[in-house]
Amino acid sequence: MISNASGFCRRLVSALTAGALLFVLMPSALAGNELKGLWTLRITIPESPTSATSRTFTVTMDVSPRGDSLHGRANITDQSGNTVGVAWRQVGKNVSIAYELPCPGDGPCASLIMLGKVKGGGLLIKKGSVIVVWDTPNDRNPSLFDTANGSFRGDRLQ
Amino acid sequence: MFRAPRLVAFLVICFCVAQAPAGRPGTLQTEFSLAGEWIVKSSAINGQTHSPRGLTLGFPDRDMLFEQQGDLRTGIVLREDVGQNVKPLGVWRVMGDQFSTTFQLWCPGDNGPCGSIVMRGRFVRDDKISGTMTAFFDLPDNSNPTGYDTWTFSFVGNRVATGATGGSN
Repeated sequence: MISNASGFCRRLVSALTAGALLFVLMPSALAGNELKGLWTLRITIPESPTSATSRTFTVTMDVSPRGDSLHGRANITDQSGNTVGVAWRQVGKNVSIAYELPCPGDGPCASLIMLGKVKGGGLLIKKGSVIVVWDTPNDRNPSLFDTANGSFRGDRLQ
Repeated sequence: MFRAPRLVAFLVICFCVAQAPAGRPGTLQTEFSLAGEWIVKSSAINGQTHSPRGLTLGFPDRDMLFEQQGDLRTGIVLREDVGQNVKPLGVWRVMGDQFSTTFQLWCPGDNGPCGSIVMRGRFVRDDKISGTMTAFFDLPDNSNPTGYDTWTFSFVGNRVATGATGGSN
């Protein structure tokens, strides 16, 4: 009986130690649902204003703490090494991430507004939606520019 | 006999060469930048003062400050009239004489819908801009192509002269 209790205690202590170690080794565990930290975003949007074909690209987003502000800043770096600024806001789990696509070439450029929810204890953004505002004017669109929808997913790196 | 035409041709060539660097400044490429402070006045398009779902931002003058550090182009709207810490953030880019900026709306309450702003415009001059702003509210609207409540209005902006104190509103 005593040896059973002792074994249970040892297992409990081991489990608690493992849990504490995991907590300490994962900074995100302390971050809760706050967006701050390093993320990889996988974004899918149409190739162009007139294309029915989508393209998927991955960017890295380094999110600075926002302190007491409702808004925060971040940097996004694409796979070509272009880095641009980001403005973001968050209420609870809901985040909005806005940035201007880096468009070094002559192709159509756009602004992206990404809406999603931080889930999994702050580890991921699943089923995020993207509003794409292209640079091409369109009098028949309420925004007066071509728009499109896309999707994105975010995974915390740090 | 042949000297006069040659002299005239020579003078014409000299004239053209002399005029080339100085003439027609309007055709020279000007690199525009939003960097600096701007007072932006907005107004309704075709009397549309609200979004289809009844949301509005009103038409306050906006005191906007844009900065550039390398490739990082950031913006901030100064709204000390609303609160000391009210500083909506944004980003921007310039393509020739056109520009695009994207801002987040400042929504202190958890209840109402929030949104983001996309400004599209062009430089009328180095110190004057005009264009349209579109608010994409976080409110579903299936009648809109994006699926979100959308409201567009126009704006005109004037650069605050360096050294001047821009009032915020």
